Amino acid sequence: MAIQLKDVHFCYPEAPNKTVLCIKNWSVPEQEHVFIHGPSGSGKSTLLNLLSGMLRATQGEVSVLGQRLDQLSNRQRDKFRANHIGYIFQQFNLIPYLNPIDNIRLANRFSGGKTIASDVDNRIETLLATFNIPPSEWQKPVARLSIGQQQRIAITRAMINKPELLIADEPTSSLDPDNRDNFMTKLMSLAKEHRITLLFVSHDMSLSHYFDRIAPLSEINSAGASR
Amino acid sequence: MFIRLASKSLLNRKGSVLLTLMAMSVSIFVLLGVEHIRHQTKDSFNSTVSGVDLIVGARTGSLNLLLYSVFRIGSPTNNIGWETYQAVASNSKVAWSVPIALGDSHKGYRVMGTTSDYFKHFRYGQKRQLEFSAGQQFSGIFDVVLGSEVARKLGYTLGDPLVLAHGIAKTSFSLHDDMPFKVVGILETTGTPVDQTLHVSLQGIEAIHLNWQQGVKLPGRRVDREQLNPQALEPESITAFMLGLSSRMATFRVQRDINNYAREPLSAILPGVALSELWQMMGLLENTLRLIAGLILIAALLGLSAMMLASIREREHEIHLLRVIGAPPLYLFLLIELEAILIALTSIILGLSGLYICLLTAGDFLASSFGLHIGTNIFSGDNTVFLLLIIGATIIAAMIPSFSAYRNAKASL
Repeated sequence: MAIQLKDVHFCYPEAPNKTVLCIKNWSVPEQEHVFIHGPSGSGKSTLLNLLSGMLRATQGEVSVLGQRLDQLSNRQRDKFRANHIGYIFQQFNLIPYLNPIDNIRLANRFSGGKTIASDVDNRIETLLATFNIPPSEWQKPVARLSIGQQQRIAITRAMINKPELLIADEPTSSLDPDNRDNFMTKLMSLAKEHRITLLFVSHDMSLSHYFDRIAPLSEINSAGASR
Repeated sequence: MFIRLASKSLLNRKGSVLLTLMAMSVSIFVLLGVEHIRHQTKDSFNSTVSGVDLIVGARTGSLNLLLYSVFRIGSPTNNIGWETYQAVASNSKVAWSVPIALGDSHKGYRVMGTTSDYFKHFRYGQKRQLEFSAGQQFSGIFDVVLGSEVARKLGYTLGDPLVLAHGIAKTSFSLHDDMPFKVVGILETTGTPVDQTLHVSLQGIEAIHLNWQQGVKLPGRRVDREQLNPQALEPESITAFMLGLSSRMATFRVQRDINNYAREPLSAILPGVALSELWQMMGLLENTLRLIAGLILIAALLGLSAMMLASIREREHEIHLLRVIGAPPLYLFLLIELEAILIALTSIILGLSGLYICLLTAGDFLASSFGLHIGTNIFSGDNTVFLLLIIGATIIAAMIPSFSAYRNAKASL
């Protein structure tokens, strides 16, 4: 199993009586592509933060790629996230004043840097080329590139450390239909090619046909129902 | 990559960073400038006289005696008799003595009557002897030896005639124009008041005052220059004299003997002690300057801290992103610290080069207008300590925004 949640409870330390997330049992097999949808405020980002190790569950077992995240220290979870999880947001995926290459290198640096710099640069260039980013744009600050280009560079950045799990949090919301379809095909083929487990969160149901499984958040999280 | 991230981030915020940089540079310029000038002034101050064991004048305060005899500032309270000078100079513990007679001037520069022993025994700086850049010391009654600045400013060369004025005012109407002097020597630059002095023999001083009484020229009495006999021109009184002792151990005994001299009230001072007393008086001013320079630096550092703190708010997305790609909160803390240190280092480079250029261009002006010889070597040991202190203070000031970034990173979701 890529993801295995058991009796997970989460409440923010500021509001210890308000359970934001309550998951009895939920799992995602390896290499499955899951589409999660739900209204905002239903605990979506909390779930993603738990899975990426940004947050620690108040109770229960959170196991990602066979690793019990709830048993790791803060520093270990940061390291685990850098090495095994790719993350794409709706926007602000890149440091605006760095160029694409530096943005991707930076992500690689936090993985522990066991790879040789020239190897990484080769991989970055190959990836950028696959995503139709012309070499003329590689040295420009990403803020000067188009949103479509930025989102494709964001996938490259998420892929650089060869993650086994990719979390995409409404990555297409800021894209126009053309760019969106382009983005989705690229993302799906890449996930298939690298045998990546994909967790895709969106409220755009028209994208659901790309996925193996569609999971409404209300089915996963029982805390929303009781509220 | 870490430094690259920090520097690119600073470049991305050019406007506010540039202003902070300027504030820091100016404050570092002021701080190091004050320190440097203070050191150099103290050095040049303490090097005005050396190798002289005692300075003796009429009974007065030690500062007054030092100021008029060495710095040619202010006026002597009284003269001392020639017999008194000879009595003290003949003391067996005295190795050499140099009499000084002040009171005349030339175009605002003071004239000092003395003997040829002055050139032999007077020392400045690290026991350096006076040296001639042209000519030699005076031998005739109407010979004059110029300090380097006098010669340069007034454009005199060897053989030029000049007329002394009575009194020390810048513009004097009572000139000794009946007895012109001739330039026979010009001294090398010393960086001391010697540069601003005209040196003549005691006989010369006597000669120009022969037809004077009570500071007024007597009409109708003319002196024939040709008939003057150097031996007959023994001065009646002098202003002060310098003593070199055969043994430095005897300094305090001789000083006490002179202070207790029965026939005339005298004061003997140790130049080193008087110099440090004088310097202590300036200590208040000096400390005020340092305090102001320090406060300017603190203000600049607070500005830096405020600028960085404001930037944290704009950079919330960036901080979140760094967290997601695996940066621990400590990384964010260090990133902000590094940005502050980069600003401090750049400011130090700017401040130092500004100071260096200023010293280079203003050095001549300071030397000629104030007699201040400021070296351009700003990398003295003390300044290195100051630079480290500035970096340290920057690190402390940047703690506030860095901690804010750290907290932001911890809560970043």
